[in-house]
Amino acid sequence: MKTDIKISARNLNFYYGKHQALFDNNLDIYANKITAVIGPSGCGKSTHLRIYNRIFELYRNQKATGEVLLDGKNILSSDMDILKLRHRVGMIFQKPTPFPMSIADNVAYPLNLHYKLSRSEIADRVEAALRGASLWDEVKDKLKASGLALSGGQQQRLCIARALAAEPEVLLMDEPTSAIDPVATLRIEELVMELRKKYTIVIVTHNMQQASRISDRTAFFYKGRIVEVDETATIFTNPRHQQTEDYITGRFG
Amino acid sequence: MIALLLTVGIFVQLSIHAAEAWQHFGISFLWSSEWDPAIDSYGALPHIQGSLMTTALALIVAIPLSFSVALLLSETPEWLNRPLSQCVDLLAAVPSVIYGMWGLFVLVPLMQDYVQPFLLESLGLLYMPGGEWLFGEGGSGFGFMTAGVILALMILPYMSAVMRDVFRMTPHMLKESAYGLGSTRLETTLYVVLRYGIRGIIGGIFIGMGRALGETMAVLFVIGNLMESPAGLFSCGTTIAATLANNFAEATGLQQSALFALGMVLMAMSFGIQLLTRYYLARTCASRGENY
Repeated sequence: MKTDIKISARNLNFYYGKHQALFDNNLDIYANKITAVIGPSGCGKSTHLRIYNRIFELYRNQKATGEVLLDGKNILSSDMDILKLRHRVGMIFQKPTPFPMSIADNVAYPLNLHYKLSRSEIADRVEAALRGASLWDEVKDKLKASGLALSGGQQQRLCIARALAAEPEVLLMDEPTSAIDPVATLRIEELVMELRKKYTIVIVTHNMQQASRISDRTAFFYKGRIVEVDETATIFTNPRHQQTEDYITGRFG
Repeated sequence: MIALLLTVGIFVQLSIHAAEAWQHFGISFLWSSEWDPAIDSYGALPHIQGSLMTTALALIVAIPLSFSVALLLSETPEWLNRPLSQCVDLLAAVPSVIYGMWGLFVLVPLMQDYVQPFLLESLGLLYMPGGEWLFGEGGSGFGFMTAGVILALMILPYMSAVMRDVFRMTPHMLKESAYGLGSTRLETTLYVVLRYGIRGIIGGIFIGMGRALGETMAVLFVIGNLMESPAGLFSCGTTIAATLANNFAEATGLQQSALFALGMVLMAMSFGIQLLTRYYLARTCASRGENY
């Protein structure tokens, strides 16, 4: 089966002020696959992810050089419409970040940003997104309740629903389960595997079991460099690099 | 505890002194608009209306102003932020009597020579339907609008300080998720940051409101001190605090008691604002499912 490359990072370097955090990253993200990004704390995995939707640009003195091709177009070039980019590339964060508004309004938020829809269309899409995030059955009777009143796991799925409502092509997940209990984590993992059918997913995780459970491909980062990228099964059973093996066997990190 | 005793004590003291006036005029003191020492007849309405009107005008001017100042301060780089913030904070250090003098010597002529003629004549607003009702007999430079502008300047630093903190304290991740969905900076601020900090912002507005309501000296200089109900934005009038400050020195007997009664009204209004704030905050919290 031919696999399409959705995102392709080319010679990517990243700087926090004068401090260089990423060194010549080259990484292909395959369409409709889950790519896990693993590595010890501070190795640049989140930094790398945060380039894909240019969210780092919110902060002064953060700078990326190189190229990130999304469907062949460099997103780092200045003629890339950043709002459209973020419409196409959704992001989920380490902690759930529901907006201080009702469940329905949370999910409708991106709809109101990007589309002009009637109330009934919005209601339909909100339902579809909540179903897509397998949250609908739990919240269908309290759509008007505050998003903040949900449990942590539900909040995170609400954020996923909110991201899905924008109908993105890529979902970036930055340690999405790090603040969530194990049972809720499993539900989110199931959800992520389900979402692979429609979306290209990149997930940063601290949790190696999680990476091996859900991802198709895994990239191992160490000190700002990509040490090894391969099929997840290969990385976890037969890594080519000593550093990778040391990390996945828990000898450091 | 001491604060509570003090507050209650003040209120009791006020009531004792005001008793004569309340007995004499009854509750209709509140909506009677006469104020004539010659026949010893006093009513609170023009003063209450004046206080409410100056406060409202101050808020109308100050809310958008402090909002934009706060937004600017929260978005400027650090090296510019410091001096700018301190400049705004400095506004709070100016004594109110200085604001009054500035109002009298700068703002009043400015209003008289430029603002009022421009609005009323050049734009012809006075001749539009309801124009006279809205602006009243202006032209002197004194009046409610001038007082409102000064009050707005006085409450600006408090309100913008509170709002600035709100903008700063919004979690990065929350803002990032708004941006991450493709929001512009304006959309993020209006729909997410503002909602997140609405409690603080309302709180800041109420702080400003409380100050504007009780402010005496600055208003006294520019309000015109006319014991009549407001007849328009540019008309002269009075406020409770201005009346108290103006008349206490020579008041005796029933007039003095009436002034005490006015004082009670002012205090009750301040308390009312406090209660309203609490109620509002409690309700917004409940509707957002948070514990407060």
